[in-house]
Amino acid sequence: MFTTPARLFLRSLRTTPRTAFRTANLAPCARRTMHSSMVRYHAGIERPAPGTGIKIHFNDSKGTLIKTVEANEGDDILAVAHEYDIDLEGACEGSVACSTCHVILPEDKYDLLPEPEDDENDMLDMAFGLTDTSRLGCQVKLTKALDGMVVTLPAATRNMFVDGKKASH
Amino acid sequence: MKLAIIGGGPSAFYVASRLHKLLPQTLDYRIHLFDRLWSPHGLVRYGVAPDHPEVKNCTHKFDEAALDRRLRFFGNVNVGDNPSPLQHTVKLPLSSIFSNYSHVVFATGCTLPKRHSELPPSASCISALSMVHWYTQHPNAPSPPPLDKLSHVSLIGNGNVSLDVARMLLTNVDVLRKYDVPERVLDVLAESTVKHVSIVGRRGPLEAAFTMKELREMINLPDASMVPLAPELLQPSEGVPLTRQQTRVLQLLSKGSKNTFGTTAKTWSLDFYRSPAGLMVPSSENTRSQLSLAHTVVDPATQRAVPTGETSTVATDLVVTSLGFHGEPTAPYFDPGLGHLRTLSNRIVTNAGTTLRNVYGSGWASAGAHGVLAATMMNAYDVAETIVNDHMKHGGRDESRPVAGGDTGGAQN
Repeated sequence: MFTTPARLFLRSLRTTPRTAFRTANLAPCARRTMHSSMVRYHAGIERPAPGTGIKIHFNDSKGTLIKTVEANEGDDILAVAHEYDIDLEGACEGSVACSTCHVILPEDKYDLLPEPEDDENDMLDMAFGLTDTSRLGCQVKLTKALDGMVVTLPAATRNMFVDGKKASH
Repeated sequence: MKLAIIGGGPSAFYVASRLHKLLPQTLDYRIHLFDRLWSPHGLVRYGVAPDHPEVKNCTHKFDEAALDRRLRFFGNVNVGDNPSPLQHTVKLPLSSIFSNYSHVVFATGCTLPKRHSELPPSASCISALSMVHWYTQHPNAPSPPPLDKLSHVSLIGNGNVSLDVARMLLTNVDVLRKYDVPERVLDVLAESTVKHVSIVGRRGPLEAAFTMKELREMINLPDASMVPLAPELLQPSEGVPLTRQQTRVLQLLSKGSKNTFGTTAKTWSLDFYRSPAGLMVPSSENTRSQLSLAHTVVDPATQRAVPTGETSTVATDLVVTSLGFHGEPTAPYFDPGLGHLRTLSNRIVTNAGTTLRNVYGSGWASAGAHGVLAATMMNAYDVAETIVNDHMKHGGRDESRPVAGGDTGGAQN
């Protein structure tokens, strides 16, 4: 006669589930504006006409070419990667709050760039496979001097937690 | 493939997101996420401090994954036979999951705070987690700490959660007002009389688990200053190579806080090489608590803190323990020795040592409560790859149901 909550629930999987919840008595409060962090639309950079843009070669960690692409002066490496579907993550969407867009640059090109700020360096501390020529892709803006640069994606970690090895942080 | 993910936090959504990318677009798979809470995103919603909104940008990717009609999220569902810590959750036995899905991922995190043997919970000693749940308004709805009756707070632990709590206590409420801090939380913070926050760690700056970003935020606090550290605390041992982060931590600590100590009404300190030995709560003789601290050194052979025999006592008004987290001991496949689920190469392993087929662990549930979002993401991607490889190995056919180990281990035995 009585259907258990579990059975009722599983039945609901076949139709649109309706969630019902009881709201406690909420104390009245004045309307407030909601803060939201700025959504950065990587709606795509403008692709320059072939042959006119700054050429970037994306390599995997083994040195194999993934794709050669072209972008404009001022585009950042993360935005370029996303435009061309390169597998470079940007969890915090360019706000220097993570290290997932970590890339490795060739030394000569690395030296041309302005020094990373403290906040970028703080995030780089935690990047997996950090090198002396590592940068956060979202902070590297392209210039003509970087034409032809090879950008290397770091090796993806093969399950850091195998064999009980714990991450240092 | 019909995948159930127990847990709807970042690890769950990253597994789902990666599966969308790796599985054939034309495949009619299902990914169902279940969470005890009615809203998803786990620690991103109820753990990340409100003044760190950029960290929460990752939810845009989670929302994208959820747009795929093959994914569904079921909130307010408690999977398992153990009573839910929350009222009103719908109960769903694990056996139902195993009989209705071809693959299962446990992404249940590490939800319980580690306790200190010398610091039992009391009115004078609470967990940092209860403060985090308070200022993020977690449905557990803990009461706010009595901030209008305190002037000295002792935080036990040198991790980022400890620094988050310290920062929330030492930041001017008008600054916090700009962020998504709930009105009732701001009201309590506005009445706070906290003057000093002491951050106590049993080892030194080189062993501290906090990271540069959070440390720098403390150093740069506009309305507080740090007690300068004795130079000998900032000397690395002879011949021991330092990581890049350790070097930068020492440099930052030796520079000291942006505000010179003594020029601000509020202050904080990093009290290294101190381990709680006991807490005397207020009595008729003493209106304040007395925190007893054992002095320690780090044994170079074991890297562990060892007492020197010396002790001291600190008068304090509230002790907040921030010592990390562990999984629920009654959860299936929990290993009490590890403090989290037993896994091997992403697969769940039973008490008897059997590796289960099509049953996986992801994120903190599988690895313990370590790692920022980036680490959890990489782990989740690895789990997704394992699932896809397993699925493809069977020619894309999943006749094999997940095999529930009859012995789910844990404290039930």
